[in-house]
Amino acid sequence: MMGLASYLIISLILFVVGLVIILSRKNIVAILLGIELVLNAAALNFVAYSRYVTNNLDGHVFSLFIIAIAAAESAIGLAIVIRFFQIKETIHIDEATQLRN
Amino acid sequence: MFIELLFLTSALLTVGSAIGAAVTRNIMHSCVFLLGSLLGIAGLYATLGADFVAVSQIMVYVGGVVILMLFAVMLTGGKDFVSRAQNLLGLAPAMGNKWTYTIGLLTALVVVLTNVKLITNVVKAYPAKVIGNDFPSTVNQIGHLLVKEHVLAFELSSVLLLGALVGAAIIARPRRQG
Amino acid sequence: MNQTIVSYLSQYEFYDVLLNLFGNNQGLLAFAIYLIVALVVVGFCATVGGLGTYAERKISADLQARMGPNRVGPYGLLQFLADGVKMLTKEDIMPYTADKFLFYLAPLLALVGVFATLAVLPWSSGFMMADLNVGVFYLIAISSLVGLAVFLGGYASNSKWSMLGGMRGASQIISYEIPVTLSVLAITLLAGGMSFGTILSHQEGTIVNWFIFHNPFAFIAFFVYGIGAMAETNRAPFDLPEAESELVSGYHTEYTGLRFGFFALAEYIEVFVVCGVGTALFLGGGNLPFNISIDIIPTQFAQVVIFVTKTCLLYYVVIWARWTLPRLRVDQLMSVCWKYLTPIAIFNLVGCAIWLVMFNGKSLADLVFGSH
Repeated sequence: MMGLASYLIISLILFVVGLVIILSRKNIVAILLGIELVLNAAALNFVAYSRYVTNNLDGHVFSLFIIAIAAAESAIGLAIVIRFFQIKETIHIDEATQLRN
Repeated sequence: MFIELLFLTSALLTVGSAIGAAVTRNIMHSCVFLLGSLLGIAGLYATLGADFVAVSQIMVYVGGVVILMLFAVMLTGGKDFVSRAQNLLGLAPAMGNKWTYTIGLLTALVVVLTNVKLITNVVKAYPAKVIGNDFPSTVNQIGHLLVKEHVLAFELSSVLLLGALVGAAIIARPRRQG
Repeated sequence: MNQTIVSYLSQYEFYDVLLNLFGNNQGLLAFAIYLIVALVVVGFCATVGGLGTYAERKISADLQARMGPNRVGPYGLLQFLADGVKMLTKEDIMPYTADKFLFYLAPLLALVGVFATLAVLPWSSGFMMADLNVGVFYLIAISSLVGLAVFLGGYASNSKWSMLGGMRGASQIISYEIPVTLSVLAITLLAGGMSFGTILSHQEGTIVNWFIFHNPFAFIAFFVYGIGAMAETNRAPFDLPEAESELVSGYHTEYTGLRFGFFALAEYIEVFVVCGVGTALFLGGGNLPFNISIDIIPTQFAQVVIFVTKTCLLYYVVIWARWTLPRLRVDQLMSVCWKYLTPIAIFNLVGCAIWLVMFNGKSLADLVFGSH
C-alpha cells in the first residue's frame, strides 16, 4: 500500500485541489491558501522521491527551503492584502487593477 | 502496522481537509481545513522518515502561516465573494458554467494521461521496494548538507527571509494620507 | 533509531513473558504498552492540572494571609473534584451568533496541543514515551496549537471581549515563541542534539553539571526561557488575553461548563509541561545526584520522583510570580519581547557558540575544578 505511487497520487490530489482553489476563489486570502497547498504538494513529492528513488537527503533539504520560501511568501502576500484592504476596503481580486493608488 | 495506520490517517486527513478547504464557503473554515491538511502532510513526512522536515512543517505552518492567515482574514472582514449562480453543482464555489468544466475536465484528462505515461516509467524503475522500517536520524545529515553542499542556497534563503521580514513590516505599516 | 518506552522495556525478562501472552505479536504488544502508558501519563497530568488549581488557590491564599479552600476533604484537597463536578453539571451555553464548528473545535485543539507534548516529556532516562531525535523541536512546534486554539476560541465566540482576548493571545504566543526557541537552541547547541535523552545524558552527576551552570550565557538563557514560557502559557504577569479587569475573561468569556474546563485544564497542564521542559533543559531533569551504574526499575522511579519534585518547585515559582507581580500593558508586553528578550536570547545563542569553540565544550565547573 505504501509506495512511491501512493504518495504521488496524494500529491497530485493536493496540487489539483490547490489549483481549483486558486482559480475559483475571489478572495485574495483564499488564493494564498491555494498557493500553500500547491507548494506543499511539491514538497511532499521531493521527500517521497528522496526516500524511494535517490536514497539521500537532498530532497529533505529542498523541502525545507520550500517551507521557508512559503513562509516568506505568505508573510509578504498577507501584508500586501492588508495594505490593499486599507486602500480599497475590499479584498476582491478583480478590484486589483491598478499598480498605484 | 503503526506506519500503515499513520499513513492511512494522514492521507485521509490531508486529502479530506484539502477538499473541505476547497468546498466550504466560509473563509475562516477554509483556513482551519488548511490546518488539518498541513498536519496530515506532516504525518506523511513522518511515514517517509523525514522527522526534521515534519516538525519544521508543523512549526512553520501551524505556528506561523495559519495564524497569520487567520489574522489577515480577521483584519480584512472575512467576506468571501461567491456568486450562487456559478456554483459547481451547488457544492463548491466556482467560476464558470458546465461547459467550462466539461472542457476543463477533458483537458485535465489529457494532461493526466500524459503525466501517468511519464511517471509509470519512474514507478516501474523503482518498484515498491521494501526499504524497511528503520528510520535513521536525519538531523545530523541535514545539518551537514545545509552548511556544506547547500550553503549558498541556505544563506540566500536567510537573506530572503530577512527581506520578507522588513518588506512585510514596511508594506503593512499604515501610511499618512497625502 | 528513536528510543521509546517499548524499546526500553524490551531489555527486561518480563517483556518476553508479556510477548508470549500476546502470542508473539510484537506490534500488538507495543500498541498495548503505548496505550497503557499514554493513559497513565494523561491521567497523571490531568490530576496534576486539577491539583494545580488547588495549589494556586492555596498558595494565593497563603500569600494574601487567608485560609483558602479547606472544606472538601483533608485540607480542602478534594476541592478540584468538587469544581470538576460543578463544571460537568453546568448548562452548556453557546452564543446564538457563534461559529458552531470553530466553537466546538477550539477547546479540543487546546487539549490536543497540550497532550501531544506529553509524548516526549522526559520523566526519567527510560520512561519516556518516545525519545524523538527532534524532541525539543517537536515539543515547541506542537504546543503552538494552543495559541491557535486561543485565537479560534476568541473568534468563534463572536463577542468583542473574546475577539480582543483571542487576538492578544495569538500575537503574544507567537511573539514569545521566538525568545523561548532561541534559548532552547542555545541548550541544543551545548548538548549537541535535540533529543531529551542526549540533553539529559550531558547533565549527569552533581549540580555543577546542570546546563544552567554550564556557562554564564546558559544561566541568562534560563531566565529568558522562564519569562518567555510564562508568557506563552498566558500566566500572570502576562495574562493579558484573559485580563479580568479589562476583558472580562478574554477568549473564554463565552465558554461554559466542560468546554471552559478544557481550556482551564489545558492551561494548567501546559504550565506543568513548560516547567518540566525547563527542568529537563536547565536543571538536570531526573538525573540522580550520584551515579548509579545499575540500570534498574527502582532507579527509574527515583528519577521520576526527582523530576516531578523539581517541576513542582518551578510550578510554585510560577504561581508565586502570578500573585506577586502586577499585569503588564499590551505595549509593554510587546516591547519586553521584541526589544529586550529577543536580543538577549540572540546574544546568548552567539555567546554559547563562542564559548563552545573557545573552551572546547568544557563547562565552567570543568574549567574551575579541572576535572577533565
